[in-house]
Amino acid sequence: MSSIAVLNNEPAPAPTARGGRAKAWPYLAYALRRLVQAVVVIVLAYIITFLVLSVVGANPIASQLGNPQAGLSPSSVHKLESYYGVNKPAIDQLWLGLSRFFRGQLGISLEYHLPVAHLIETALPYTLKLAGMALLISLLFAAGIAYGSQRFPIKAVRGVLRSIPSLFLSVPNFVVGLILIQIFSFRLHAFDVLNPNNLVATICAAVALAIPICAPLCEVLIANLDNETAQEYVLVARSRGLSERKIFFRHLVRPSSLPAVTMAALIIGELMGGALIIEEVFGRTGVGTVMYQAVSSGDTPVLQAVVALAAAVFVLVNLIADLVAPLLDPRVELIGPRSAGGLVRGLGRGFQAGNRLGTRPHR
Amino acid sequence: MSYITLPERSSVSSSTRKLFAGMPPTVFLAFLIIVIVALWAIVPSLFTSHSPVTAVPLDRFESPSAAHWFGTDYLGRDEFTRVVYGTRSSVLNAFVAVGIGLAVGGALGLIAGFFGGLTDSVIGRGVDTMLAIPAFLLAVTIVVALGFHTVNAAIATGITSIAIFARIMRAETLRVRQSVFVESSYLQGGSRLFVLFRHVLPNAYRSVLALSVLQLGYAIIVIAALAFLGYGSPPPAADWGLLISDGQDYQFAPWLVYCPAAVVVITVLSINRISRWLRNTN
Amino acid sequence: MATQHELTPADPSENSAAAGGRPSTLLSVNGLSVAYGDQQVVDDVSFSLGRSESLALIGESGSGKTTIARTVLRLLPNSAKILGGTVTFNGRDVTNVSDREFRPLRGTQLGFVPQDPGNALNPVRSIRVQAHETAALLKLKDKAAEKQRIFETFEQVGLPDPERVYRSYPHELSGGMLQRVLIGLAVLPRPPLIVADEPTSGLDVTIQKVVLDLLSELKASLGISLLFITHDLAIAAERADTLVVLKDGVVQEHGTSASVFAAPKSDYTRELQADVPAINPDRYRAARSVRAAAAGEQPTKQIELRSVSKTFHTRDRVITAVDDLSLSVQRGKTHALVGESGSGKTTAVRLLLGLEQLDAGEIVVATETVSGHSRSQWRSARRHLQLVYQNPFTSLDPTWKLERIVREPLDRYNVGDKSERHQRVVEALHNVGLPDSLLCRRPTNLSGGQRQRVAIARALVMHPDVLVLDEPTSALDVTVQAAIMDLLVRLQDELGLTYLFVSHDLSLVRQIADTVTVLQDGRVVEAGSVEQIFASPEDPYTQALLKAIPAVPRLGEDRRVLDHAAV
Repeated sequence: MSSIAVLNNEPAPAPTARGGRAKAWPYLAYALRRLVQAVVVIVLAYIITFLVLSVVGANPIASQLGNPQAGLSPSSVHKLESYYGVNKPAIDQLWLGLSRFFRGQLGISLEYHLPVAHLIETALPYTLKLAGMALLISLLFAAGIAYGSQRFPIKAVRGVLRSIPSLFLSVPNFVVGLILIQIFSFRLHAFDVLNPNNLVATICAAVALAIPICAPLCEVLIANLDNETAQEYVLVARSRGLSERKIFFRHLVRPSSLPAVTMAALIIGELMGGALIIEEVFGRTGVGTVMYQAVSSGDTPVLQAVVALAAAVFVLVNLIADLVAPLLDPRVELIGPRSAGGLVRGLGRGFQAGNRLGTRPHR
Repeated sequence: MSYITLPERSSVSSSTRKLFAGMPPTVFLAFLIIVIVALWAIVPSLFTSHSPVTAVPLDRFESPSAAHWFGTDYLGRDEFTRVVYGTRSSVLNAFVAVGIGLAVGGALGLIAGFFGGLTDSVIGRGVDTMLAIPAFLLAVTIVVALGFHTVNAAIATGITSIAIFARIMRAETLRVRQSVFVESSYLQGGSRLFVLFRHVLPNAYRSVLALSVLQLGYAIIVIAALAFLGYGSPPPAADWGLLISDGQDYQFAPWLVYCPAAVVVITVLSINRISRWLRNTN
Repeated sequence: MATQHELTPADPSENSAAAGGRPSTLLSVNGLSVAYGDQQVVDDVSFSLGRSESLALIGESGSGKTTIARTVLRLLPNSAKILGGTVTFNGRDVTNVSDREFRPLRGTQLGFVPQDPGNALNPVRSIRVQAHETAALLKLKDKAAEKQRIFETFEQVGLPDPERVYRSYPHELSGGMLQRVLIGLAVLPRPPLIVADEPTSGLDVTIQKVVLDLLSELKASLGISLLFITHDLAIAAERADTLVVLKDGVVQEHGTSASVFAAPKSDYTRELQADVPAINPDRYRAARSVRAAAAGEQPTKQIELRSVSKTFHTRDRVITAVDDLSLSVQRGKTHALVGESGSGKTTAVRLLLGLEQLDAGEIVVATETVSGHSRSQWRSARRHLQLVYQNPFTSLDPTWKLERIVREPLDRYNVGDKSERHQRVVEALHNVGLPDSLLCRRPTNLSGGQRQRVAIARALVMHPDVLVLDEPTSALDVTVQAAIMDLLVRLQDELGLTYLFVSHDLSLVRQIADTVTVLQDGRVVEAGSVEQIFASPEDPYTQALLKAIPAVPRLGEDRRVLDHAAV
């Protein structure tokens, strides 16, 4: 009954046949909108990367090709020059690159004379293994710490658990990696740095990658659990005689799971960024190392492709999360284009506020 | 007609005094550490008499002792000195990064949140895109384009943080814009710009400021990571990241990794502690 | 059948046997003291409740009533400590038993109906799931038997379409329906005691009556005892057998409804009686007669709305907020705009102030047609037309000092010079009863009543002719509300203001208004003078609204109880 609220409503909205789950037609419209937005963002990401590398960096392909120390034969140089259209205006080069990108042609490496796609393909499985393991580890850590911070019997331990995310955020991932190498390789000889694909080595690398990533996830889970614990309905559920454990799993976990799903999608971005440095520290093969090499040798097409690809992955994962959200939380409003990217206020999945945290009631 | 009386309120200075009196010991420690680090950045020569650049081949790889608190490196230089002299580059550049993020991101968020509509959508698309590119990869790309120097690393870090600042500022602006007192101001003859700068901004900036402190710690880490990979200023610069990178090749001299790393961790930990405390007391 | 049950639906004779031999005390609280940290909120409180009886704990905010209720239910937060006293339930001391021992009592012996139905159910789970959680306490044969019981209960609480409610999610039901569901769930296991914590605040008045009637009926038919928590003395007096009045954690008064009313022993209770609008309808009779006499010669229309309509088009719905609304307010009088949620009263006010543009009709303020105004024209018109908002906690900028807040209209409209503005600010503050020392403070440390006074001061500093008051006291405690209303009536008399007073509270309207317009679903249902509407309402909706006013003994002009009969 505030002066601001225009639409006061006592009569309930029209009943739905399926009791509140995502209604069919608005959902399809929403899905379509999100898909279009996703494509737009991928295109823009490619363009921005191109602008930074090729415009700000003053046409590096041309200078790289013209560099006699690159060890390229004149015919190779000529072929690459025409492939990249180095003599054409920037906008043509951009269009060339963009259209090829969407067709799956990621260019040709200046260093190896191989298709960039091939380079990435061979390196990808290693990175996926590492990232997958890191994601799993950070989810487990975060869930464990969050659960412990609420339910562990000793109060002092609960306090310690709560301050762990802050600690994790203060330690750089490469430092963790170096320390793990010191302990497990140099001291305990559990693995040899020259053989990075050993299981122990991989686990160490995954842990190093996971630590700074599980921190924000953990903080969000804890904050939401705290918030939900204070909610009236938890009190009411307790008054009905439910045990604490039942309350935790039935009434706290579900409403809290939505922001966590959202965050997990966000974390993909951090994983990809962290892979670069962790793979270098552990001497592993992977897309990160490919990129590292490309920076050292000035291999711009590889840089362009890796970064644009990473952005595409991020967008796709978030798209999936957005499409799943209304199914997890019936309160989510399928708002139109203005809540672009279906993105969450304050949770960093994107810019424009949607209602993904479900804090605004539907009434 | 009865006046309503209220108890006397203490003046401003005594309330700040109360603030410091109620400070937990860890926060006090954190402040102390920050002050020391700040002094290292400003007057490094006050803390050490050795040179950060001159090689002393006879003293190579000495482990930490009373003479060399952090031991010596592969050129015999006192590691502690190198860390102290590297502070200026590592920490001050972090301020540059946060400054860029705060100024540009804050402005974008404020405009998008206040004016809404098309402005919001356009800015939104741009920011979404910057968020889509993994921050570290974007930072690397920018440094590649600008050249390998710690300042450029700072600029790159700043640019990648614009999106986060914009998002928080926009959310806060939206929240305040919908407040009753904002509408009330319009009813009292306020214009849009007046409301923006006098009502919305003063109420919206607090969270953003809290974020800035957090981002400072984060920026130190990212700049260190970039320096570690060799993307910061080249040797004989003493950026903390570069020091750690130099040390990783020497298994038998682990202090070359541990000592600079510990300094990084303790500094960022202190910043985070202070940030958390500020959040709790507000 | 369930082993924990002692009560079957009672027959009437058992209730009246309470006075006879059977041990009748169900709940007994003795010398209870509770503190949060080092602040004591409950101090030596004692009362008892028998079977099939109802007791109301009455108090304003900070009285400790909610804490007492939570203590009985053992739902206190960790920061609360029981300093002393005992709580005895059914002859058993439950003050310090472990959570494990207490849990079997929950739901089956002690039921709970919470205050805010919107937040009382898990938003991501359907009603079905949560209802079965409660039904499981009965240890019935299987899910089908549980479902049948649930449906029976839903019908008993008057839900029109149990199947639909069963399948819905909480956010799809209205507040009244949700509250009925919650009552149903509380009653389902047939507990002998139900604690209802302000079960009707936030609901529309007609729905309030429905819910309260439901509780009374369940008490009668099932023999359930009710422990009511409320801030509303009138509702408590109407519905409870025994009253306990609390202030700052201390019992001020304790006795049957009738005796507390006829002869209150404490000053606080007397003050409350005088402050509750339903009990004291003639509080401002003198002022009203003065106004009636003054305007007798030449009534001039200060505000007029002619056939105003406004429709909102949202993404999925079209809502007609206001439909062909006409009303007029005479100069120097108080006109009340009454309606429940969805009635359009808020929209009407926003149209009047130019915060929305109307679709059809005209609005005239003091011979100036404002409905077609441009932004700058509106700005000029607003010098004479000001608004006091409902919520004083959000209508003042928390980062501004009070002096600047009250001075804002003068600054924006460039009235006079600096010292003149300061003068006017001081004058306005004095007018609303606040001292100068507050000028350099910020709103954060002020109470609700003080903030609302500041808002009124700000509204008056431009010397407007018309003040629109949008439920200015509904967020405040009763005694504070009375003080603010005193202030408003006095200011109207001194400054010759015209008031448009929006409210849902008819008893308040009866106290202060001269004329009334009743709205429902955006349309005018009835309009006229207060005497006329209250004495002989013609429309059934108006009649329903009037019936919702608690039927309590009223005070006469000499502040003594007039009669023991209902309205």
